[in-house]
Amino acid sequence: MSLAQPLPGAAIGVWAGDPSPELVAVFAAIADTRMRDLPICNRQLRVEAVGFQRTAAGHWAGAMVTPWAVNLLCLPGATGWPALAACAKHEWEFPSGCYEFTVADEASLGNYHLCSLFSPALEFDSHEAARLTALAAVRALFAEPLAEPAAPRASSRRAFLGLGR
Amino acid sequence: MTETFYEVLRRQGITRRSFLKFCSLTATSLGLGTSAAPTIAHALENKPRTPVLWLHGLECTCCSESFIRSAHPLTKDVVLSMLSLDYDDTLMAAAGHQAEAILDEVKKKYKGNYIVAVEGNPPLNEDGMFCIQGGRPFVEKLRETCADAKAIISWGACASYGCVQAAKPNPTRATPVHKVITGKPIINVPGCPPIAEVMTGVVTYMLTFDRIPELDRQGRPKMFYGQRIHDKCYRRGHFDAGQFAEAWDDEGARKGYCLYKMGCKGPTTYNACSSMRWNGGVSWPVQSGHGCIGCSEDGFWDKGSFYDRVTSITPFGAESNADSIGQAAAGTVGAAIAAHAAVTALARARQSNAHGQPEKQGENQ
Repeated sequence: MSLAQPLPGAAIGVWAGDPSPELVAVFAAIADTRMRDLPICNRQLRVEAVGFQRTAAGHWAGAMVTPWAVNLLCLPGATGWPALAACAKHEWEFPSGCYEFTVADEASLGNYHLCSLFSPALEFDSHEAARLTALAAVRALFAEPLAEPAAPRASSRRAFLGLGR
Repeated sequence: MTETFYEVLRRQGITRRSFLKFCSLTATSLGLGTSAAPTIAHALENKPRTPVLWLHGLECTCCSESFIRSAHPLTKDVVLSMLSLDYDDTLMAAAGHQAEAILDEVKKKYKGNYIVAVEGNPPLNEDGMFCIQGGRPFVEKLRETCADAKAIISWGACASYGCVQAAKPNPTRATPVHKVITGKPIINVPGCPPIAEVMTGVVTYMLTFDRIPELDRQGRPKMFYGQRIHDKCYRRGHFDAGQFAEAWDDEGARKGYCLYKMGCKGPTTYNACSSMRWNGGVSWPVQSGHGCIGCSEDGFWDKGSFYDRVTSITPFGAESNADSIGQAAAGTVGAAIAAHAAVTALARARQSNAHGQPEKQGENQ
């Protein structure tokens, strides 16, 4: 059973510029209202969008620090954004590898994808620590992985038979 | 000459085509990628098979129930027939003295070269009298059987942590296996029960590669227990947006909002349920509308009601990530430490069990 329900013809807005200011505004509002005083929040942390930049496909990716999580976020920045309903899964390719994101839909942000790095984020004893870690995560995300010797491909006959690909 | 895994399969009437399919699917479910399939096939064709003895202490048999319902292709034919050939008092045909004789025989014949899988745990009070098998305390049988084993698998919350029989006040002093057996590699596979594909994955990994999978500090295989339920939960977007169900059957519950306020233990529980799911990938607790009860965490019976909101999360306690990413990040603010924490978290996020979902069985019959 797949949770993904394609939305035929659904128009998804595109972020022409850096979404960081809106992200901060929206999540700061959530922090002050729905998430206020929840024990799962780390009171040392503030809401901050870290290192948002364009991906190779023209979308926006960066890290979002909130008192309840440090997540990677992916937002539509160009056409070709997958039309997936909230709760579906989608894999995004970055220079450092492939990551599974969960689709989210927040009224004020529209469709975006998230990949959890730290949640709850109680291990950070200061906002600075969380911010630095988020920054390092974005840098590592967009960095090529350390070169590994290429493994020889599995024999093509297996691939042909769909056994080893 | 001991026969190989493959020879046993052939004898069971398994076709080579099905065997290769099994290897391929096992490789992906272990997160090794399909390129590892030939390695698995080669190992199973050439290595003498490793006997597995499956012991039962104080338990409810839900681990066995989970295991034999694995939707993983061929599991019931393959792995299970391998196990029951040796010793599993729930599943084997032998009984009485004949059954107990198998234990001695395997112990002698495969000294230092067999795996003991333990379901349940030994009670230690009253010299172990709360669990008697074959006329003697289970703890004695456990110690003797493990003495010459190569490695031990602790199935489920009982063997790994103690589970309900060890809940306060623990009248029988039910004790997890690793506190009774020392000096042997022990793999904890917690859960009540563990996911079937996780169980078969661990067994197949050990039989194939002849080594134990990489473990975290709590002795759990990292490939299946590296992430919190919360990290891969499909309702995660609702959590991040502060959208919670506040009561059963309220508007939020109907909309499928996050169940944290209804007591979901997903944020503190390490397991693969949210990515592998259950019953062959059909569903899992949160998808059915109930919060995670944290059954794969130490002492989950003693942490209050299943419906109490998680209020105390000790970042460095039992729930802390065994990779101690948090500890590194918490120490001092240093670029190197932050970078290490970040890279470790990214590596964890890259691990995806999404491909590990078992395929439908019909295709492989």
